[in-house]
Amino acid sequence: MAALRTILYLLVYPGVLFLFAYSTFCEWFDRKAYARLQNRMGPTHTGKFGLLQPIADFVKLLAKEDVVPAAADKGLFAVLPAIALAVVSTAGLLLPVWNFDLARPTWTSFPGDIIVILYLLSLPTLILFLAAWSSTNLFSTIGGARVLTMLFGYEVPLFLAVLSPAILADSWRLAEIAAFYQARPAYLLFNLLGFLVALVAVQAKLERTPFDIPHAETEIVGGTFTEYSGKKLALFRLAFDIELVVASGLLAAVFLGGFPGGAVVGFAHFAVKTLFIVFLLSLLRALTSRIRVDQVVSFSWKVLAPLAVLQLLAAILLKGFLP
Amino acid sequence: MSDTEIVERLKGDLGARALEIANPDRRRIFLKVAPADLVAAVTLLRDRYDCAFLSTISGLDAGEAFEVLYHFASPVTTIHVRTATPRSDPRLPSICAVIPGAVLYEREIQEMFGIVVDGIPDGRRLNLPDDWPDGVFPMRKDWKHVRPEEVIPGGKP
Amino acid sequence: MSFEIPIGPQHPALKEPISLRMTVEGEVITNADIRLGYNHRGIEKVAEEKNWTQNIYLAERICGICSHSHATCYVQGVEKLMELQPPRRGLYIRYLVSELERVHSHLLWLGVAGHEAGFDSFFMYVWRDREIVMDLLEMITGNRVHYAINAIGGVRRDLDAGQKAKVLEGVATLKKRSEYYLNLGGTEPSFVARIAGVGRLSRELAIALCATGPTARASGVARDVRKEDPYAVYDELDFEICTADTCDVLGRVVVRIKELLESYKMIEQMVRNLPAGDIACKAPRKAKPGEVVSRYEAPRGENIHYIRANGTDRPERLKVRAPTLGNYPATVEMLKKGFIADIPLIFAAIDPCICCAERAVALIDARGGETAVVRMSDLRRQAIARHLNAPVKGNAAWPL
Repeated sequence: MAALRTILYLLVYPGVLFLFAYSTFCEWFDRKAYARLQNRMGPTHTGKFGLLQPIADFVKLLAKEDVVPAAADKGLFAVLPAIALAVVSTAGLLLPVWNFDLARPTWTSFPGDIIVILYLLSLPTLILFLAAWSSTNLFSTIGGARVLTMLFGYEVPLFLAVLSPAILADSWRLAEIAAFYQARPAYLLFNLLGFLVALVAVQAKLERTPFDIPHAETEIVGGTFTEYSGKKLALFRLAFDIELVVASGLLAAVFLGGFPGGAVVGFAHFAVKTLFIVFLLSLLRALTSRIRVDQVVSFSWKVLAPLAVLQLLAAILLKGFLP
Repeated sequence: MSDTEIVERLKGDLGARALEIANPDRRRIFLKVAPADLVAAVTLLRDRYDCAFLSTISGLDAGEAFEVLYHFASPVTTIHVRTATPRSDPRLPSICAVIPGAVLYEREIQEMFGIVVDGIPDGRRLNLPDDWPDGVFPMRKDWKHVRPEEVIPGGKP
Repeated sequence: MSFEIPIGPQHPALKEPISLRMTVEGEVITNADIRLGYNHRGIEKVAEEKNWTQNIYLAERICGICSHSHATCYVQGVEKLMELQPPRRGLYIRYLVSELERVHSHLLWLGVAGHEAGFDSFFMYVWRDREIVMDLLEMITGNRVHYAINAIGGVRRDLDAGQKAKVLEGVATLKKRSEYYLNLGGTEPSFVARIAGVGRLSRELAIALCATGPTARASGVARDVRKEDPYAVYDELDFEICTADTCDVLGRVVVRIKELLESYKMIEQMVRNLPAGDIACKAPRKAKPGEVVSRYEAPRGENIHYIRANGTDRPERLKVRAPTLGNYPATVEMLKKGFIADIPLIFAAIDPCICCAERAVALIDARGGETAVVRMSDLRRQAIARHLNAPVKGNAAWPL
């Protein structure tokens, strides 16, 4: 019975199937919001309101010819999309929306899971770099170099910003952090600065405008994805959709008070809060133009990192003063 | 400064080197010089007539000789410097030292008419494909286009 | 580590084929080289085998965006050769279309600049507004791209009172929108960070390399054929030359938006003061031997046609210089010492028009390997058949 439960947990909810459905829905929401902000329609034809468009795109890509460059490291090239998908799906399991039992830590909710989820969210970036490097294309190589350059910019502010609410809540477990803020909603206001920093850093991590530098199509064609096609590209895209869900879920858990109220109400909280964050990210995407990679690094270290440190200091000081 | 004044000044400055000066229309002055005097004339136009802007260089196959026109523009008029070079040995000096922006037009003249431009800083082909045969110059009147038979790679023979 | 990256002949940043070879060190460009000819169609050679009237339509097909510029430049030269004096109403309509074309071209460019900088919202907004001017052009000429309104000795279509009112109405809307874009393009921080100081071309270099049009004007060189060498109606119109002295891509954006505002002014003047009378006069079939140089300020800069007649109904020589060619040497200089990320912006900032499309459609059957020239009627029949067999799609109305 326990084995069956685990299998269902991994495959159906909140595992692969649910993450697939929800992440495609988030992609649809993101595309629709982005399109409406730009005076466009966005997807309309496939399914009601075009809801099935991301799934149709996924299926279409699966059916496309899969080309592997002759000079590429074939094994690495083929296995990386699958690893990326596995990594982000694993990160998805750690969200506190399906682990609301505070008293009994399980293997998906334990002290320190915030560190694990941050770590798992960093891996796709490195995988992307490896993918770019193993495809040996000139444009991919430049894209890969840009991926890493950007990583050194946004990663530190993101970690600092996400960890400061944890310090205030005095816990390294997502469910406990969320519970702490559910008990004292006013404390969420202290973390507003950190929320903004984390929002921008997540935008950079997901490589969306203004940080879509590694695959800036007008500069370096497909960038990291230049040589990827067919199934492998479909898996990469799905992995990034899921990363969007997981990253917004993480921000919701840490900065927006988590998902109280058990399985059903908690899920409603999860949907509303992640969609709110996805909407903020779409807004950011629509309002800005792509910046240069050197500007990303200088912006991260000159603006984001000091703000994140400020937030951290504030959290530490507050912890001393508040009851 | 009106066109007639410019024409008078040009006559004074160039003297016998100006083979022909015409002013057929408002703001259109046609000046003819020998190829040997070309660089001197262009330098003079640039320095004394504010004609640093080269619009383009046109070539023309006039049978025995190739006529080449350098179209210059100043804020008040346009001066078109005409020169001719014999078909048997078409040669012109490069004016890139005076007008750096002339290089593309000189490359075009070189490949389209087969006029050898002496001292051109970059003499590669500009428009014609890499596998274009040497010694064939499409803008000469004796060149006629014949559509080559299409060969489709992998198609039926 | 230094390596060479190919931008083109096929590349997402380029809408037409051209090859830019960039030698880069990390993200910094150390050298740039341009190779043309991927779209060379031998139009100058073809023109020697067509008669004066046919060449109008040939000249129109030199470019797909500033099609009217080439046709007008050619026609005004031929009119001079034939010693024709077109009626003033015809001239006003011809140059009204010119200015509308400039508006459409600059709006198109503005959108593309936004897209190249990764600012897709800007791109979508600008192109949506561009539809207004495209509709106006379609209303006046009957076509959206190749207007075919020029004839030797005038124009082919007249303008009535209703059309005049619509033009004024459309221009009033566009004016408001363009002022908004001028504000947006100059203040949006991430956009300005991308374009300010990028692609510097000093005034001296712009003059030495014979840069033309908005590229030169953004470097502080106040040159405009419409002012220096006012052809046809331009000495009767009140307008300014727009310049900027920032010498970078930001300057080129600002110059173009300001030029839009000047064009709206000119369009209003031309529509309000449209003289009465004929729109065209009869043209002879042949031209006397002679030569003429025709200059025209196209949206991208000075367009120059040199036409030589030999007494027959065909030109002896038609030399065309499109403004983009004049801007290439300057582009190479601008690209040096830039970043890879700046390549599309710098290259797009000269508004390159690499010229497209072949004249006869030669289709090769991929399976049979047979070459066939397909007639327009066949294409049309196939298109109708395809349309009738197409699956029924839901209406693209916004359902939420």
